[in-house]
Amino acid sequence: MDALLPNVRPKESRKAPLERFLLTLRSHLLALPSIRSQNPIAAARALSKNGVSVPFALPNPTQETKWTVSFEPPSDLNVVGSWANQINVKKKDGGHFGVDLTVEMPSSMFQEKDYLNARYFHKRSYYLAVIARSISTSLQVDTFYAAALGDPRLTVLVLRPRRGSEHDFFNSHAEVRIIPVLPPSHPIPLNRLSPSNSNVRNQSQSQLLPTSSPSPTPIYNTALLLSTFPKLSLLSTNALVRSSPAFSDAHALLRIWANQRGYGEGSMCVHGFEGKGAWWAAVLGLIINGEDPAVGRTGKAGARRPIGKGLSSYQLFRASLDFLAKRDFGNDPAFVKSANRHMFPPDEYASKHCAVFVDATSTLNLLADVPLTSLDMLRYDAQQTLEQLIDSISTDDIFTDIFLKDQTHLSKRCDAIIRVDLLRVSKYGSAVDLMEYGTPDNALLSAVSKVLRCGLGDRVQAIAIFHPSSNVRSISEISGPRIAAVHIGLVYDSENALRLVDHGPPASEPETENTKEFRQLWGDKAELRRFKDGRIIESVVWEVNTSDERAHIPASIVRHLLHLHFGIPAADIQTIQTPFDAKLRIRDDVSRLHQTSGSFGGFKAALSAFDGVVRNLKALDDKLPLSLLNVSAVSEHLRYTSPFSPFPIPLSSSLALPTPLRYLAQIPIILEFEKSSKWPDDICAIQNIKLAFFETIATALMASTPGLRASVYIGDPRGLGVQDHVSLEILTAEGWAFSARIWHDREATVLERLIASPKTQPLFLAPSSCPITKYQREARHALDVYTRRLIHAPRHHRAVSDLSHRYAAYPGTVRLVKRWIASHWLLGIHITEEVVEIICARPFVGTNTMLPGMAVSVPRSKERGFALVLEFLKEWKPEDPLFVPMYEDNGSFTKPSVVAVSSKSGVWTVSTSQDKSGRMWTSCGPDAVAAHRLRALAEEACKILQAADADPYGVKRLFSHATDDYDILIELNPAVLPRYHHNVDADPAVWSKDRLGHATDGEAMSLPGFDPARMLFDDLEAMYSDTLKFFFDIYGGHRIGAIWLPSVSGGHSFRTLGGFSSIPAPKEEKKKGKAKGNVVLNQKSVLDEIERLGTGLIQKIVLRGQS
Amino acid sequence: MSPTTELPKLLSGFTVIPVAYAKSTHIIYARPHVTKSKKLTLPADRTLFLVNIPVDATDREISLFFKSCGRVERVVYDRQGLDDEQLAGEISESDDEDEEGTGSSMDVDTPENNEEKPRKKRRGPKDKKAKPVPPTVVPLPSVPLRTLHKTGSSAHVVFLDASSLEKALVAPLKPRPWPSSEEPRGLAHYAALYASRRPPLDVVKAHADTSMNLFEFKLAQAKQKSAYRKGEAIVDEDGFTLVTRGGAYGQTLGGGVGVASKTFQMTGMTGSKKKKEPKEKEAFYAFQKAEKQRKALLDLKKNFEADKARIEKLKESRRFKPY
Repeated sequence: MDALLPNVRPKESRKAPLERFLLTLRSHLLALPSIRSQNPIAAARALSKNGVSVPFALPNPTQETKWTVSFEPPSDLNVVGSWANQINVKKKDGGHFGVDLTVEMPSSMFQEKDYLNARYFHKRSYYLAVIARSISTSLQVDTFYAAALGDPRLTVLVLRPRRGSEHDFFNSHAEVRIIPVLPPSHPIPLNRLSPSNSNVRNQSQSQLLPTSSPSPTPIYNTALLLSTFPKLSLLSTNALVRSSPAFSDAHALLRIWANQRGYGEGSMCVHGFEGKGAWWAAVLGLIINGEDPAVGRTGKAGARRPIGKGLSSYQLFRASLDFLAKRDFGNDPAFVKSANRHMFPPDEYASKHCAVFVDATSTLNLLADVPLTSLDMLRYDAQQTLEQLIDSISTDDIFTDIFLKDQTHLSKRCDAIIRVDLLRVSKYGSAVDLMEYGTPDNALLSAVSKVLRCGLGDRVQAIAIFHPSSNVRSISEISGPRIAAVHIGLVYDSENALRLVDHGPPASEPETENTKEFRQLWGDKAELRRFKDGRIIESVVWEVNTSDERAHIPASIVRHLLHLHFGIPAADIQTIQTPFDAKLRIRDDVSRLHQTSGSFGGFKAALSAFDGVVRNLKALDDKLPLSLLNVSAVSEHLRYTSPFSPFPIPLSSSLALPTPLRYLAQIPIILEFEKSSKWPDDICAIQNIKLAFFETIATALMASTPGLRASVYIGDPRGLGVQDHVSLEILTAEGWAFSARIWHDREATVLERLIASPKTQPLFLAPSSCPITKYQREARHALDVYTRRLIHAPRHHRAVSDLSHRYAAYPGTVRLVKRWIASHWLLGIHITEEVVEIICARPFVGTNTMLPGMAVSVPRSKERGFALVLEFLKEWKPEDPLFVPMYEDNGSFTKPSVVAVSSKSGVWTVSTSQDKSGRMWTSCGPDAVAAHRLRALAEEACKILQAADADPYGVKRLFSHATDDYDILIELNPAVLPRYHHNVDADPAVWSKDRLGHATDGEAMSLPGFDPARMLFDDLEAMYSDTLKFFFDIYGGHRIGAIWLPSVSGGHSFRTLGGFSSIPAPKEEKKKGKAKGNVVLNQKSVLDEIERLGTGLIQKIVLRGQS
Repeated sequence: MSPTTELPKLLSGFTVIPVAYAKSTHIIYARPHVTKSKKLTLPADRTLFLVNIPVDATDREISLFFKSCGRVERVVYDRQGLDDEQLAGEISESDDEDEEGTGSSMDVDTPENNEEKPRKKRRGPKDKKAKPVPPTVVPLPSVPLRTLHKTGSSAHVVFLDASSLEKALVAPLKPRPWPSSEEPRGLAHYAALYASRRPPLDVVKAHADTSMNLFEFKLAQAKQKSAYRKGEAIVDEDGFTLVTRGGAYGQTLGGGVGVASKTFQMTGMTGSKKKKEPKEKEAFYAFQKAEKQRKALLDLKKNFEADKARIEKLKESRRFKPY
């Protein structure tokens, strides 16, 4: 922390030129000649001749105004704000330090009535314009206008140093901001500026309704009060700095924290926090001094007591986070304790402002123009950080998260991001609103925020409107640029977010105020409905067909409301979800073809099919020699985490489908029989018994269940018979394919014995037939497969399906991540699916202590989960071991110490409490190449996601894979790949054309799990593992990429077991003096062999550099 | 890559045989089979040792390829599953290891034998020795399918007579094209493979039953053969009692008198995990206590210093610039 702070403070050594400049400026300003009073329009015209415009506020002055504007040299000049108190903190994106210089306008310029209709602001603007003209012509600095939130009432003049001029204070990274303020003895009566007073008179309004009081203008009043604020704030903050030694450090920490999260200025900021520098200091002031007890709060929690002044900066920081996390400024106004009584009664604030935070000087409500939604977001962020602080054991790693990392990246913060184009907004608020909020944008955004907050209600924890903060503009421009687009970020509430029905007030004969409001909010979506419990309630029902659509409800609410209330066309409201969903769904036309057979897919259907199979199996009990104890599912299809939702293809309709649509995934399950002493003690015999079992089950099942097909699959018969290579394949009548294996617990013992003492080799084999070590190797391999497939896989399955039930967004996240890794040709081959599931659990279950189930930082949408996983993959170094507590339900646990082990074939160490060594799913991949590649890809993907904040359709690029890096590209014929419809950019022409040709093809059968591309890939990998490294997208990829391994390049001396196809080196190479008998890799013949292996599958092989 | 004319005739004692592929030339290296192993299984005078056979080579293809030299009796492939020591031997002596175990032998000229699984076949000679005729195993049906070899692997070709060997070792002037046998390739291969891995149920049943019969038969045979009977102490002619170790559950096979377990022999510990209480108290005397405290304090200090150093290092390694 001590290392952090000097980096954000202005450097002492560079202040001298700035001080000199300030002195020059002071003498210059005080010496300005006065200008006599004149009509504002005429005065503005005179100034614009010099290229200086006057940023008048709304309502604009007219030709026939009676009052005049004038200029007189300022009565006083002061450096105020954070610079004067030396609590300045560097801004984001290389912003300058702001040196606030107040220029007191002489009181003689003002009249009592100036508070009305922005007359004061016009005078102020003119004053500023005159100063701008004189400075730009006579001093060598660049002058700009700037206004917080583009509000012309808050315009200030910004002076930036020009390089090489006499006032070069460039090195201090500062800019001087000239703020015209009211003198202490101004004639404007303060009581007219209380929150409930209306100071904007609309002529038409007053004529039509002379009796009704005009609506109050609290924000306008606050803007006016701000002109009296700087000096008072300077004094009160100064008192704080002096009284509490850690104040300035704590303030710096708080500002850094806020800046990193976009509460300030930058390219992606939460709406409303611009130019709120004084508020952060005031928050700390409240922490130190406590709240005003005199306000008479009725809430259960009493006023905050002052805490000690001697606290450290970290304690102060934490206390203020705690305050921000718990306080709801909307319902629970905050008043800093002040020396004298507050200027206006507290109730007045509470009723007129949406959020209330009145500072110690009691001049104004600092949060007057901050919408409640933004404060919700702030609260959410503070909660999240607090959670991290509480959880963390190792502090240094949290420190980076809180202070050093940029957290403005939307897709990591919000569950849903909606980009709204504001250019075609057709409905704005009334004229009074415009005057109240200063600019049309501000008026619009605050209205948007109100409507959305109302409409989304408890579906969300926070809504935030993000947009770039306003920038400086040249002094010749009257107003800054409009905001072109905003991003609306939603943070879901896990329970309510995806609710189908919104309830309103109950129906009643005379329409109550509530009903009207409800109808107005929802427009024609609102309808009266009668519910099961007899209530008749106004309600809004959202129609959905699939679970995917259900995830879109909050976004479609936003779309509906914005369209209804602001006339924003639906095309201008975009979300990032749509392109993501498209990657996880089978194409519409394909699923329609599938559905013609009358079967329905989905995870639910798969689960019920599984239950059906289990029932059928259990019913066979008396026909089997041993009774079936347990059937466990081990498939991603049965735990909601397969990228595509599973789909059955019945036997009958399989023939009608064209080949590229015919792939039917097999769902592995594991059968466990009761223990019996009859099992032999010999591994080969055990496998044989399994075979016999399967045969019995298959026969019995087919006899008992009509329409069901069962067959026994026998794996590679060339092995020694040690492997568990038989399985039972079941194809149900509805078209679900299962593949069952038997778990026999003695197997492990038998195998271990075989490994330990090779002399006890299986009886089944002739003793002389094979060298002993070969057995051990086979047995070790078999034992590995046994533990992975039969022991760990079911456990993992249970843990993952638990997680899927606990966190609604978890399965979606896994599906997206799997799809993403697969689309980059790594999943399944280099990275197992199980390890992806474990890594994806990380943002949900945390790392150190188990987060309570509903922790705020848990992502609630798959898009956010995906972004978090990507970020993790980007930052995770493979050398670091990873521990994911996915098996623990809750409560604390001890983190086992995991040692990172890496081998040639796998570099990741991912442990869980069931797998302490962390090698279960990573022992055969990813190797260093693949892991490095994944990291690079994740980094690229993070950039794309960040860019996707601006353009949601950039997401597609995430899934497109660049093939330039591969030496060889083997292109397969998509028409013969049964899995092609899963391809990332599947081309429907392939199967529509194919359909005609195959309709007559009678010999085709339903082949569950038949994937020739994968088989070819496995063969290639087995054969050329020492020559080439292959990459392939297992989800319907139609290209296989490969790179030559560096170990086979160049010349080698000839060996009989060289392990690669060689050719004698050409003569010219021999002359270079290499060893005799040199051979080199025979690349061309290898390619020829590959092409021959894939006859009928491979279209062509492209080498790098060709085509 | 290089035209055939440039290829050397001999390379480290191997004849270079070029094979014409569709677009390129593949190289097979050949030399006579030499072996020092005692278990002579391949006839030395008429066996050709080939290195770098095509990955998808079948017996038929190899014999067709060498048809011009003479008839091929059988082909023995080396699998990648060569053991480490064998591998080492192979490298030093090129080839004299015993291929029997790793290779599967098939008669090319008797295709009906092809149907039989190698595993079953290997059992053949042993079964014949046994007096009671063992039950025969009904084999799983097998379709002639290509067996793929790892790239760069080797094979032994046994010719019918020795003269063919010499003919084969003459380096050909022109690369000969690689013949092709009727076994399917590519997509058709995979479809056939898929079908063959799922045999009809009745065959499966027959196979499973008969192989279990065989297993039981062998088990019985092994029992007969072993001299030991359970529960009987074995006393040899000199009057010594045989002492054996028990199995997992005490004594399983054979008799004899029990003896200590292996773990006991090696570690001297009994199986019970009970921890022994330390006999002496560690802090009995005052000086011991003081020493202990001092040591704890020192450790604490040392750890603190180490922590500080670690944090220092951490600080240096990281930039503390938030933005």
